[in-house]
Amino acid sequence: MSAIPAEATTAEEKVETTGQYDELVNAGYEHGFITEIESETLPPGLDEGVIRTISARKGEPEWMTEWRLAAYRKWLEMPTPNWASVHYPPIDYQSISYFSAPKKKDGPKSLDEVDPALLETYEKLGIPIEEQKALAGVAVDAVFDSVSVATTFREKLHEAGVIFCSISEALQEYPELVQKYIGTVVPPTDNFYVGLNSAVFTDGTFVYVPKNTRCPMELSTYFRINEAKTGQFERTLIVADEGSYVSYLEGCTAPQRDENQLHAAVVELIALDDAEIKYSTVQNWYPGDENGKGGIYNFVTKRGDCRGARSKISWTQVETGSAITWKYPSCILRGDDSVGEFYSVAVTKGMQQADTGTKMIHLGKNTSSTIVSKGISAQHGQQAYRGLVRIAGKAEGARNHTQCDSLLIGDQSAAHTFPYIEVKNPSAKMEHEATTSKISEDQLFYCRARGLTEEDAVSMIVNGFCKEVFNELPMEFAVEAQKLLSISLEGAVG
Amino acid sequence: MNAAVHQRTGQADAAEAFAGWLQGLGGNGDQNSAGGIDWLESEREQAAARVRTQLVPTNKSEGWRYTGLRKLIEQGFVNVDEPVTALTPDDIGEFLIPELDAHRVVLVNGRFSDALSSLGELPKGVRIGSLRDLLESDPASVKGVLTRIAGEGRHVFASLNTAAIDDGLVLQLDRGAIAERPIEVIHLSIGMDEPRVAQPRNLLSLGDGAQAQVIERYVSLGDALYCTNSVLEIALGRDAVLKHTRIQQESRNAFHITGLYLSQEANCRYAGTNIGLGGTWARTDLVTRFAGEHAECDLKGLYLAGDQQLIDYHMDVRHALPNCASRETFKGILYGKGRAVFDGLVYVARDAQKTDAEMSNRNLILSPNAEVDTKPQLEIYADDVKCSHGTTVGQIEPEMLFYLRSRGIAASLARRMLCLGFAGEIIDALGPESLRDYVAEQVGQRLEQAPLE
Repeated sequence: MSAIPAEATTAEEKVETTGQYDELVNAGYEHGFITEIESETLPPGLDEGVIRTISARKGEPEWMTEWRLAAYRKWLEMPTPNWASVHYPPIDYQSISYFSAPKKKDGPKSLDEVDPALLETYEKLGIPIEEQKALAGVAVDAVFDSVSVATTFREKLHEAGVIFCSISEALQEYPELVQKYIGTVVPPTDNFYVGLNSAVFTDGTFVYVPKNTRCPMELSTYFRINEAKTGQFERTLIVADEGSYVSYLEGCTAPQRDENQLHAAVVELIALDDAEIKYSTVQNWYPGDENGKGGIYNFVTKRGDCRGARSKISWTQVETGSAITWKYPSCILRGDDSVGEFYSVAVTKGMQQADTGTKMIHLGKNTSSTIVSKGISAQHGQQAYRGLVRIAGKAEGARNHTQCDSLLIGDQSAAHTFPYIEVKNPSAKMEHEATTSKISEDQLFYCRARGLTEEDAVSMIVNGFCKEVFNELPMEFAVEAQKLLSISLEGAVG
Repeated sequence: MNAAVHQRTGQADAAEAFAGWLQGLGGNGDQNSAGGIDWLESEREQAAARVRTQLVPTNKSEGWRYTGLRKLIEQGFVNVDEPVTALTPDDIGEFLIPELDAHRVVLVNGRFSDALSSLGELPKGVRIGSLRDLLESDPASVKGVLTRIAGEGRHVFASLNTAAIDDGLVLQLDRGAIAERPIEVIHLSIGMDEPRVAQPRNLLSLGDGAQAQVIERYVSLGDALYCTNSVLEIALGRDAVLKHTRIQQESRNAFHITGLYLSQEANCRYAGTNIGLGGTWARTDLVTRFAGEHAECDLKGLYLAGDQQLIDYHMDVRHALPNCASRETFKGILYGKGRAVFDGLVYVARDAQKTDAEMSNRNLILSPNAEVDTKPQLEIYADDVKCSHGTTVGQIEPEMLFYLRSRGIAASLARRMLCLGFAGEIIDALGPESLRDYVAEQVGQRLEQAPLE
């Protein structure tokens, strides 16, 4: 269950503090290890041939190949977005290999047939696949690089009528469902990275929850980038049909590398009448070393469409990894009385940069949205909340509440807030508040006076600061997230 | 595809037209008052060069995202040439604030008018005059201040104003000088046979410890169609105190652009209130720079935008030094097809520890076709700071209206009462009393006249 080894921090490892903030600096990346397994990898480069090859290897239907090519042709004309407050050298898209699949030996029928090296990686990550069946409630569609290698609990889900499989599989088995929904929330022309993803995505997850069905367990996928120099282009599509409910967990870690790795995923959620989708993310990819070398570029487009009346989409994210995060999980509140939520904790330390936030587009009547964003910036961390709340002219009775708080640790860190609020309806009610502060001396003193070490005190205060968001996470995830936060901040605060 | 191409060509055409228009406005040749002053000549030339090279803002430019320039460009404004001399003091009677006891300065179409001004007896160390005159008699007294505070400005209109520097108001207070009575500045605009743009350049300079209260008002005669592109530079010395009220009540056909650039030395205090009522299209940029520690800047605002009106406030408060405080409190009421834009940026640099910055923008929307776009931004690079911002958009609670109506108060009056209650925070802070009453009445009348929807 745990994506993060729980034994990461032990009391002995903690350096006793003497009131100095800078004492603890080097909490290395906990999950930095590389598994060497043979991969079937295309040479670096991107052209129509590569896209046709990817599509052919996946045995995709003709329309999908054309869809990819159309996306590619549009992508060639698109500019790289430069409005976010993040800085990085230009990316050479021709130096990336667009396909990497763990070698298949006639396809594993059971876990016994899976490459032992692969299983070992999961063990290190704390995803005990063998024990999954014994563990309650979570089915794992483990993605190692770009191809799903093990899927569990399929039968149980199948009984409920829930489709939970890799998108490649879905394209073969349920092509009409995929064709009906893919690209309808995030069109291939949406932005540069979506264009690229649409052209070259190699795998991802597809979920379909039929009418009036409550998905019997939390669905979960662990992503892991492994092959050097492969960008990872995941495509997730979740459709909740009328009256259904699904909770999806996404968590990720990555091995330590010097090369910058590009990750440009696209996630599309569709909620029809009375449906609810809860999407939780814990992102802990390699952030680069203390000088900012290496680390993942995480340029993700996530968007949910509350297409039906009374539908609800809720995004919860805990972002502690990646060198650069560029991510705005959004909700289009199209159906009347639909609800959108965004809860986020983002931590930047070292040389990490994050530009993240959400968009709530209110189109339907009596739609409501809540945004709670907590940013923690330490060392040279740079962080920006960038959000849009748009209340269209016809969105009678729309309601939004936004709160974004930033906590700064150390005088080299930075936190920014760029909210955009557009209101075109007089019956709308929208509130936005933001604060920026540091941990107060009084708070620290209070905790220290009661015998807590400075580090524990900071960890406690920070966890309190993020509590509103952690409360939204499924329980197991919430525990992990708190641990992750403590581990993340370990080197940053004394 | 075709449509896209058309659109692009359309935009390119507009951009070209705009560029041509700007360049035509950049200078007004021989008439200009800056002749023979080398430093000013050079500033003007540089500004003219910027006008030539700066990209024309479109709705893709962040600063003009919600504020289209098309309407402005379409008017084809040309520079004001001749000063208006036909007016007598009686003509401005209708604009006066009852019982306001002040030193009065009047500018007509951007030109200082001696005939209409009634300065009275100015306290020692206080000088009020025309920029044109000063550049002839004592240009050294504005050197290092004029054009230096605004610098390149926030956008092309500031450069345009600099390139065309000609006349305007100069108010100078020597070190320690105190002006007890308020100084009222009336910017009067009169429509001409063709749409004209006036580009006054105003300068307020307070020496160390000086204190003054300035009330600036933008008014127009009748329904005149014209454009004002003004730049106001304010230099506050150490411990200086300036209370500044700006009331924009121009004609419903007027276009208004103001760039206010403020430089604050240590311990000084600036308290500015901006009341935006008039014009069809009004854009105001308020830019503050702290040049010393423990300075305070308090920016308040109230805007009322009704049919066919766009009122846009852009604020740029930059904390480069520690221990300064800034406060921005803006409130807006929108009705009819009124639109308002609020864009506030608080920037706290790495070394600006102990910064205390607050920003709030609250809006009341009264009609289905009104729109507000608000963007309160914080950009913070220091950790020991206290920064916050808040925004709200809402409507009048039906219960409140019902309460008043049930006590026999007419709907329009009830609405006026509730809106004035909402705006009270801004209006009540105004002084002296005559000014406060005047603004409350102006706002109240506008609200009562607004169509009920």
